[in-house]
Amino acid sequence: MPPIHRKFKSMKKIKIRINDLNCFYKKKLVLKGLKGEMEEKAITTIMGPSGVGKTTLLMVINRLYESIPDCRAEGMVEIKLDGRYIEVHKLPVTTLRKKVGMVFQVPNPLPMSIFKNIAFPLKLSGVKDRKYIKKKVDQALKDAFLWGEVKDRLNDSALELSGGQQQRLCIARAMIMQPEVLLLDEPTSSLDMEAALRIAELLKSLKEKCTLVVVSHYASLTRRISDSVLTLENGNLTK
Amino acid sequence: MNRFVEYQIKIFCWISGIALICAIGILLAFLFYKGTSSLNLSLIFGKTRPLDGLFLNTEVIDGLFPAIVGTLLLILTSIIWAIPIGVAGGIYLAEYCNKKWKPVFNLMLDILAGIPSILVGLFGFTVSVFLHKHLSEHIYPCFIISSLALACLVLPYIIRTTEQSLVNLPFFIKTTGLALGASRLQNILFILIPYNLSHIISGIILAIGRCAEDTAVIMLTGVVAMAGIPNSLLSQYEALPFYIFYISSDYNSQEELMRGFGACIILLSICVFLFALSYIVKRKAAMRFATHT
Amino acid sequence: MKSSIEKFAEKGFLFSAILSASITILIFSFMVFFSFPLFKRGDIAAFFTLEWNPYEGKFGIVPMMVGTGVIASIGLLIATPFGIGCSALISVFSRQSFGRFLRKVVEFMTGIPTVIYGFVAIFILVPFIREIFRKGTGMCVLSASIMLALLILPTIVLFISDAFNSVPKSYLDAADSLGATHAQKLVYVIIPSAWKGIISGLILAAGRAVGDTLISLMIAGNALQIPKGLDDAARTLTAHIALIIASDYESPEFKSIFVCGLILFIFTTMIVLVLRLLGYFKILRDR
Repeated sequence: MPPIHRKFKSMKKIKIRINDLNCFYKKKLVLKGLKGEMEEKAITTIMGPSGVGKTTLLMVINRLYESIPDCRAEGMVEIKLDGRYIEVHKLPVTTLRKKVGMVFQVPNPLPMSIFKNIAFPLKLSGVKDRKYIKKKVDQALKDAFLWGEVKDRLNDSALELSGGQQQRLCIARAMIMQPEVLLLDEPTSSLDMEAALRIAELLKSLKEKCTLVVVSHYASLTRRISDSVLTLENGNLTK
Repeated sequence: MNRFVEYQIKIFCWISGIALICAIGILLAFLFYKGTSSLNLSLIFGKTRPLDGLFLNTEVIDGLFPAIVGTLLLILTSIIWAIPIGVAGGIYLAEYCNKKWKPVFNLMLDILAGIPSILVGLFGFTVSVFLHKHLSEHIYPCFIISSLALACLVLPYIIRTTEQSLVNLPFFIKTTGLALGASRLQNILFILIPYNLSHIISGIILAIGRCAEDTAVIMLTGVVAMAGIPNSLLSQYEALPFYIFYISSDYNSQEELMRGFGACIILLSICVFLFALSYIVKRKAAMRFATHT
Repeated sequence: MKSSIEKFAEKGFLFSAILSASITILIFSFMVFFSFPLFKRGDIAAFFTLEWNPYEGKFGIVPMMVGTGVIASIGLLIATPFGIGCSALISVFSRQSFGRFLRKVVEFMTGIPTVIYGFVAIFILVPFIREIFRKGTGMCVLSASIMLALLILPTIVLFISDAFNSVPKSYLDAADSLGATHAQKLVYVIIPSAWKGIISGLILAAGRAVGDTLISLMIAGNALQIPKGLDDAARTLTAHIALIIASDYESPEFKSIFVCGLILFIFTTMIVLVLRLLGYFKILRDR
């Protein structure tokens, strides 16, 4: 095979590039000169000992670290959007967060009905067409494997759902704007085994729609579903 | 919500904040501009020599000294009543009260905390009328009636502060003493109260501030414009807030007006000082909590 | 032996608590006791008439009730939007720099004696209002309402910004991660969650507004009439009590102030009950 073809074969498409990232929390250095890459349309799992900064790393990618008092970050974090690499600080933060969604360790539904929770991002973007909203909500629920369980009670409060259902609701809500990247911070650690497995299957199915970065504890869950596993240690992401 | 509406909301909030700061700034600037020129010893002692006035050798007639002394004495006597009853009442509500009666006490105290201060003054006035008619002809609205009325005014605050500081203690603090064999009373006196003393003290300091600034209560219970230093509990007296009020409605010369501004500055300084003190004490308490948890 | 000290102490604490609670009851009783003769004589209706003119035997306190209502309402009306705006600034838009400073300023304001607000208003606000209206002395409903708004603003701002800060962080995280702007977060998440706190703060401020004596005594003009416009002078129930106290204590004039006192007491009690229903006191105690 000509050398050029060999090069193309091994070229992976990289969605997120991190270079020389330093992150301070109250003058203490949490992430030191971090480097890493996450592949497009794949599941990357980040593992590491407790407290090493995995959640902080996720929060840098969608700039949620800015809402933590005394937290500062410097360095380069680029995401490939529309074919170009853009540094996250160069985008308006609200635009960034519509392209990079986040799911938290403990599900955080808003105090509204299931329907309104999932439709909330559309409301933030000023979408008013009811038919369109209903269509998108239904599709998001189906994508999140939640449709069957809630289709008859979309107007009930989201706070009444079980933990696993709430987490799937949060995933549906994060997915409705069709983000290009989805960040998940230990999405199953507050759930029981059966719910966790369901979520794992769900994440596998989401892979073709967007790039997933998962921070995880459970080794079994990670190995089953991820395409690459990175370990955060001493400020480095290693395979 | 479109961009324009969001922008308007943001602008409005910023305007509110800036307007507030400007309003207070203007108030303080005006006060200091007018008042600092009169801040000297003659403001306080008038034409009497300061040392003479201070040691009560001569009466100070055209200075603020009697008013300042009146206010300070008033604060002192009011808290002498208010602190023991307030702290004791707070302890009862936090530690001994049973569930049935608690809502009743709480309701009564919340109402007391909420009634306009002038009603407390009215109450004091009627008590003195009552005593005048039925006890002794000599009793008129006077110093002691005022201090009792002020004590009633600040009592709910002290009770509430004490109760809250005892109720919000972490479980392990409450049970440590008991586990060591202390009786309920010993636990309260030797462990719980000292643990939260700064919180209680900061509440007391705020109560003191309230006594210093209140005008409505004292207006109805014995303060007058010209009385000198009170020489007995049953005499009438002067106080700073009332002086300010009186001057504002009835000043005869520019000089008197300037004295009014000077009095404002003194009163404001006293109140701000007390307020800052209470804040510092509370901060110390918060830091203690931070290291204990 | 120890247990007798314990028992004594407990009785002592109980006594203090009962003494304090009974003050409220005493105040109420005095108000009723002194207005009672008027109830009995059926003269009470006379108090709810429109004219106050002791020399003609007319003791209507309605002008004062209207005065209280108007000045307190307008004051609240002015203070509420600014109060919510400042709270939003402190808790949402500018949490770090200016917002923190603003909060310190508001906390400082709670230490300023009321009489100083009144005193300064007489020399700054009143002439200004006089210029604007071009008639009268400047001592009118508008001046009193503006100053009252400034007085109750700290109560509103501190209370509402505390309510904003108690919205669960998970809701804020959810909104942030979905790309909501500050204004969207405020309107769609924070205010709906904190509405109970907001209403409680406003009711508390209303209670303070109705109960304040000095502002209206010094700036509202104390005229015995029902105010028909913002530039009319008016008198509130509280100022009325302060003014009448100077007269002799057998006259019906004098007894009228007890009716005023009773009205104010009942109003306060109602506010306390409404705040209880809203769970305000539970929030306060849990803090």
